[in-house]
Amino acid sequence: MSQFANTLLMLAATFIPFVAAIVLLFVPKDRSEIFKKGALFATVLSFALSVPFFFAYDRTSDAVQWAQSWSWIPSLGIQFSVGMDGISLLLWLLTTFIGPIAILCSWEAITERLKEYYVWLLVLQTAMLGVFITQDMFLFYVFWEVMLVPMYFLIGIWGGPQKLYAAIKLFLYTLAGSVLLLVAVLAIYFLQVETNGTLDFSLASFQAMAPVIAEQTRTYQTLLALAFFLAFAIKVPMFPFHTWLPDAHVQAPTAGSVILAGILLKMGTYGFVRLLLPIFPTAVKDLMPWFIALSLIGIIYGALVAMIQKDMKKLVAYSSVSHLGMCMLGIFALNPYGFKGALFQMINHGISTPGLFLAVAVVYDRRHTRMIADFGGLSETMPVYSTIFMIMTMSSIGLPLLNGFIGELIILQGSFQAFPWAAVVATTGIILGAAYMLWMFQRVMFGSISDVNRKMPDLTPREIIVFAPLVVMAIWIGLYPRPLMDIMDRPVAKLVRQLSPDYYQAPSLSADQEKAKQEGMRGMEAPQNPNNTGNSEVIEEKR
Amino acid sequence: MPGFAQSLLAALWQDAPLVQAPFFLIGVASLMLWPGDLLIPRDKKRRWSLLTQITLAITIFLIILTPHRSGFSSMLRIDTMTQAFQLICTLATIATVALSTKLLDLMHEHTVEFYALLLFALSGMLFLCGATDLVTIYFSIELMALPIYVLVGYLREQERGIEAGVKYFLLGAFSSGIMIYGISLVFGATGGTTTNLDRLASELVIAMDSRATMVTLGVLMVLVGMAFKVAVVPFHMWTPDAYDGAPTPITAFMASAPKAAAIFAFARIFGVGFHNISNTWILGMEYMAAASMILGNVAALRQQSMKRMLAYSSIAHVGYMMLAILSNDPNLSVMSFSGVQTLWLYVFSYLFMNFGAFAVITFLQGKGEGERIEDFRGLSHRNPWLAFAMMLFLLSLAGIPPLIGFFSKFILFKMALERGFVLLTVIAVLTSAVSAYYYLGVINQMYFRSHPNKEPLKTDRVTGYLVSICAIVVLLGVSAGRWLIEVVDNIKL
Repeated sequence: MSQFANTLLMLAATFIPFVAAIVLLFVPKDRSEIFKKGALFATVLSFALSVPFFFAYDRTSDAVQWAQSWSWIPSLGIQFSVGMDGISLLLWLLTTFIGPIAILCSWEAITERLKEYYVWLLVLQTAMLGVFITQDMFLFYVFWEVMLVPMYFLIGIWGGPQKLYAAIKLFLYTLAGSVLLLVAVLAIYFLQVETNGTLDFSLASFQAMAPVIAEQTRTYQTLLALAFFLAFAIKVPMFPFHTWLPDAHVQAPTAGSVILAGILLKMGTYGFVRLLLPIFPTAVKDLMPWFIALSLIGIIYGALVAMIQKDMKKLVAYSSVSHLGMCMLGIFALNPYGFKGALFQMINHGISTPGLFLAVAVVYDRRHTRMIADFGGLSETMPVYSTIFMIMTMSSIGLPLLNGFIGELIILQGSFQAFPWAAVVATTGIILGAAYMLWMFQRVMFGSISDVNRKMPDLTPREIIVFAPLVVMAIWIGLYPRPLMDIMDRPVAKLVRQLSPDYYQAPSLSADQEKAKQEGMRGMEAPQNPNNTGNSEVIEEKR
Repeated sequence: MPGFAQSLLAALWQDAPLVQAPFFLIGVASLMLWPGDLLIPRDKKRRWSLLTQITLAITIFLIILTPHRSGFSSMLRIDTMTQAFQLICTLATIATVALSTKLLDLMHEHTVEFYALLLFALSGMLFLCGATDLVTIYFSIELMALPIYVLVGYLREQERGIEAGVKYFLLGAFSSGIMIYGISLVFGATGGTTTNLDRLASELVIAMDSRATMVTLGVLMVLVGMAFKVAVVPFHMWTPDAYDGAPTPITAFMASAPKAAAIFAFARIFGVGFHNISNTWILGMEYMAAASMILGNVAALRQQSMKRMLAYSSIAHVGYMMLAILSNDPNLSVMSFSGVQTLWLYVFSYLFMNFGAFAVITFLQGKGEGERIEDFRGLSHRNPWLAFAMMLFLLSLAGIPPLIGFFSKFILFKMALERGFVLLTVIAVLTSAVSAYYYLGVINQMYFRSHPNKEPLKTDRVTGYLVSICAIVVLLGVSAGRWLIEVVDNIKL
C-alpha cells in the first residue's frame, strides 16, 4: 500500500504545477503578485515532494520503481503507466530542482502578460516531468509533443527581437523529428503484434522487442533506428541538427533558456538511453561510426563557434552543443563508464549552463546588452557576481572539485575504452572549452571598467537566492558524487546488458577483474554477488 | 396488373421507415417554402432559424429510430455506420444554422430559402449515407449538391459569391456527368444486370475477364467524379474559390457535412463495390492521396485569407481520409478497425475542430473584422477564451497531442501502416508537420501581435456555446480515447 502511496506522491509532484496553472487561470489578470508567488509555491512544493524519492530509491535494484499502471485505452494496449528507474529519477529531480529557479529568475525580468507567462511555465514543467516518469510509449509521445507548445509561447511572446522565427523554428524542427518517431513506434508495435500477438505500448515491451528487431532485415532496422535517432538528435541537438538551438536560446527569455539548456536538451539524451539504444542494439552498433563522428564534430564545432561569438548568450548556447556532443560520445561508448559519465554530465550541464544563462541575464537586465565588448572590469564593482560567475564558468570547464570535472573524466574514461582516438579528439574539445569560457570571463570581468558599467549594482538578495542552489549543487556534486553514482549504477548495468548481454562475462574483463582483485584495486573487481539481478560492477567501494 | 401495383405499394410502405428522416426533412422544407413563407412577415424571418433547429432535433430522433435493414430492392441500407455518418451531417447542419442566424441578420439577407435549402441538402446527405447502389448514390449526390450550389452563391450582391457559385456549379455538373458516364460503363460491363454495390463486388471480377477496358474506364471515371465531389488533388480547383466566396457558415458546412457524406459514399463505392478489382484504381487513388496531402499543405502555407487557408487544409485532410478508404478491406477480418470506422472517427473529430475554427471566423466577420489571417492579430488580448479555443482547434488540426485531431490521426496512421501503406503514411506525417507551420501562423497573429483596437470583444451566446462545446471535445481528445474507441467499435458497416 505504501508503494501505491509513493506512486501517488510521485504523480502529485509531477502534476502539481499543472494544477496550479489551472488554478491561476481563474485569477484576475492584474493580481501579478499572486501569479509570481503561486507559481513559485507550486514549483517549490513539487520540488519538496520530489526530494524524498532521492532517499527512498532502492539502489540495489535495477527495476522500475514506484511502478503503477492504469488501464487507459485497453483495446490498443495503451496504459497510463508510470514509474522511475535511477536514470529517470535523476533527470526528474533535476527538473523539479530547476523549476523554482526558472520561476524566480523571471520575477523581475517579465513585466508583461504575467498570467499567461506563469501558466505556460507551469504547464511546461508538468510536461517535462511527465516525460521522465512515463513507462508507456504512447504517453511518452504525448508528453514529448505537448512540451513544445508552452516552449513555443514562452519564446514567441516574451522572447527577443527575432522571437517569431526562433519559436517557429524550434517547433517545426522538433515536430518534424518526432512525427517520424511515431511511425517507427507504430512499426515496432505491429512487429510485436506479429511475433507475440500482444497489443502493448509499454516501454518494457518495446525494449523486449530488441532480439526480434535484430533479426529483421538490415534496411528495416536501420530505417527505424534512424527515425528514432532523428527525433532525439534534433532535441539533443547533435550536429548537424543543432541550428535551432542558438536561435531559440538567444531569443528566449532567461527562464526559457534555463529550461531549454537545463532540461529540454536532456530529453534527447534521455531518449537515446531509454529507447534508441535498448531497442536497436544491433542497428546502433552498425551505425556507430557515424554517430561517433557526429558527436565529435559537435564537440569541436560547437567549441570553435563558441570561441568567436560576440554575444555572451550565444556563446553559452554553442557551448551547449559542444557539451552535449560530449554526452553523446559517452553514451555511444556503450560501456558503463560512458553511460555513467554521460548521465553525470547531463546533470552537470543542467546545473552549470542554467547558471551561466542566469549570469548573462544579470548583466542583461542591468544594461540591456549581452555583447562581450560592452563589458569589462566588472569584478571591481560586482565582486559577488563575478565570484558566482567564476564558479559557474569553472564548473562548465570541468575544474576538479566542481561537478563538471567528474562527468568529463568518466566520459573520457569510457570512450577511451571503446574508441581511444575519439577520446583523444574529444579532449581537444575540453581544452577549447576552457579557452572560450576563460576568454569570455577575462573580457567581461577584468580589464578597465567603463563609467556605464561602474554604475551597475551587484547582485540583489533575490538573485543570490536564485544562484545559491546551483552553486551549492555544483560544489556538492564535485566533492561527493557518490550518491548520484549509486543511483545510476544498477540501471546503467542493466542498460549495458541490454546492449551486449555478455559484457560482464567478457574474458578480458574478468581477467582484468581477477587481476584487480589480486592487486587490491577494489573499484575494478568483479561484483560480490553475481546471482542477483544487478550483476554490475561498482565504481567505488561497496556500501 | 393491379396485383403487381398493390404488392409494389406494399413493399414501398414496408420500406418507408428507412427513409423517414430524409423524407421528413423534404416535407418540412417544402412546407417552409410554401405556404410557410407567406405566414411569417418579412421582418420576422429570424423565426425560421428556430423552426429549423426544431426540425433538425426531430431529425436526430428519426435517424436514431430508423430500423437496421436493407430496403428498396437493396438500393438503400441503414446500419449503425450509416446512422453514425447521418448524425455527423445533422450535427454539422445544426451548427451551421446556429452560426448563420446572426450573420444573416447583420447582412439583412434573412430568407426562408436559406434554411429550406440547407434542409434539402441535408436530406440528400442522409440518402447518400444509406445508399448502396450506384444509382441511389448518384441521385443523392445531386440532391445534396444542387441546394449547395445555390447556397454558395447566396450572397448575390457580392461578385465573389456569384463567381464561387457559378464555378462550383459548372465543375460540379461536369463531374456529375463524368460520374454518370462511368456508372453506365460499369453497368454495361456487367452485362446490364446490376448497379448494386454488393453484387458489383462479385460481378465485376467476372466482367474483368472479358471487358477489362470497359470496367477500368468506368471505375476510373467514377473515381474522378467522386474525387471532384470530395475535392482531392488534382480535382480540387473549385474548393478555394467556393470556400472563399460562400458565406462563412456555408463554408464551414461544406467542409464538414457534404464532405462527410460524400467521403462515406466514396468509401462504400471503392471499399465495398469496387474492392475486388482494386488493381484498377488503387494506384490512382494512392497518387491522389499523396498529391492531396502534399499540395494541400504546401498551398496553404502561402494563403492570406483564413477561409482559403482552411480550404487548402481541408484538401489535405481529405488526403488523409483517403488513407482510410485505401485501407478498407471488407474481406479481411482484423482485430483493429476497418477503414470506414477509422474514417468515421476522423470525420467526427474533424467536425469539431473545423466547426470551432469557423465559428471563430464567423464571429470576427460579424464584428466587421474580416476574414484575413491578419485580422486575428491580438485576439488573445481582446478575448482570451476565444483565442485559446481557436488555438486548440488549430493545434488539433495540426495533430498535436493530446487533442482529438492527434488521436484520430494516430488511429488512422496506425491502421494505414498495418495495411502496409508505409510510404503514404510517412508522407502523411511529414506533411502534417508542415501543416503546423501555417496553423502556427494564425496562432502567431493571435498571441504575438497586437491589434490597434484594444477594446475587448464580447462573444454572443451562440458563438460562446458553440466554441466552448467544440473546444471541450477537442481538448478531451486522447483522454477520452477509451470511450471514442468503444463508440467506434460499436458502429459497423
